[in-house]
Amino acid sequence: MVRVTQRLEAHVLGEGDWLAARQICELCRLDLEVVMELAELGVVAPRAAAAGEWQLPATALPRLRVAGRLMRDLGLNVSGAALALELLEAQHELERRIRTLERLAGDH
Amino acid sequence: MEFRDYYKVLGVERAAAADQIKGAYRRLARKYHPDVSKEPNAEARFKEMQEAYEVLKDPEKRAAYDQLGADWKAGQQFRPPPDWGSGFEFSGAGRPGSAGRRAGRGARSEAEGGEQDFSDFFSSLFGGGTPFGQAGPRAGRDHHARVEISLEEAFQGTTRMLELKRPELKPDGSLELRAHTVRVSIPAGVSEGQLIRLAGQGEPARGGGAAGDLYLEAHIQPHRLFQLDGRDVTLTLPVAPWEAALGGSVAVPTLGGTVEMQIPAGAQSGQKLRLRGRGLPGQPPGDQYLQLKVVLPPATSPEAKALYEEMRGKLNFDPRADLTR
Repeated sequence: MVRVTQRLEAHVLGEGDWLAARQICELCRLDLEVVMELAELGVVAPRAAAAGEWQLPATALPRLRVAGRLMRDLGLNVSGAALALELLEAQHELERRIRTLERLAGDH
Repeated sequence: MEFRDYYKVLGVERAAAADQIKGAYRRLARKYHPDVSKEPNAEARFKEMQEAYEVLKDPEKRAAYDQLGADWKAGQQFRPPPDWGSGFEFSGAGRPGSAGRRAGRGARSEAEGGEQDFSDFFSSLFGGGTPFGQAGPRAGRDHHARVEISLEEAFQGTTRMLELKRPELKPDGSLELRAHTVRVSIPAGVSEGQLIRLAGQGEPARGGGAAGDLYLEAHIQPHRLFQLDGRDVTLTLPVAPWEAALGGSVAVPTLGGTVEMQIPAGAQSGQKLRLRGRGLPGQPPGDQYLQLKVVLPPATSPEAKALYEEMRGKLNFDPRADLTR
């Protein structure tokens, strides 16, 4: 029997939510300098907040986490991670379209 | 707990040099990295390799691991020796990941982020409460976890029981991970990859300050009928030739229940129809798309054959007219 010690209400972060760059860096295990380089390459779009602080859309977190893992685990540099991310996303989109076409063709 | 042979996991000899270990890890990481690999069990294999590399790349941890001896076999029952960790001097603050080992520039090690999910074998040798895992006071950090939900749960909202592990201070001053279970209400309308924040449920502060937050990244499992694209869902809807040709009302499954829908006369296979607002809830809600698929009845009975013969005789229809023009 599992004993529940707490009930928690979740807050869903949507497209209108922004997080401090510091927080995103912590969650992605990336240095701010790297996140800003990824921003220069178009991977994420930060905005300036008060007093030299930067913010990033909450929706950027999954992409940045993948970028962080690729850099950390495979030793990629920033440009390599940005390129790999773009190719992986293109691959996933093509796989999604193939699945749709296969359903239409009745293969699956 | 079971002994883990880290050399075997990375496929290297016990006498392997540091660059051979690094090379072996890189090759295996390229093959089994969960973000790029299609290998079965890639995630589990990759975790094993990460754990092995975390120990073997660090001269202090490797030397300590080697002291256990070469006679142990993977899977054998194991307990750390009572004097484990004594006789070693540790560099840095003694925290895992503090020995300055970074793969890509600017990407911090998982250990540094405190996000490891390694085996009990690893924790008993190198985790909190061991001489390798001591940590100084610091503010609580944000944590991140992945939560899988079904498409129906994303549509209706759901609750999840989560077992969270928190480091807690023992009377002797060392840290141990203690599990506690929380029930989390996930509201309706969560989409793929969306973040859910649980305030104050990250790492507790050590020595004062606020606890971190826990961020859950939602992943929606593939569905038998619907394909998800953002907040929109697509359903392949089989229709009979006469429904496509003449139009008609058909029952269509949606995430919110079955609805009646009018198929326009002259519809073709592959044509897309839209049910506005029938996708995942949100501001604005997603739509449901129906991709029509005309399915022919088999010409197996004499009646069906006669009907096809009649169509061939009476309809002046050439599906390949465009090819011969």
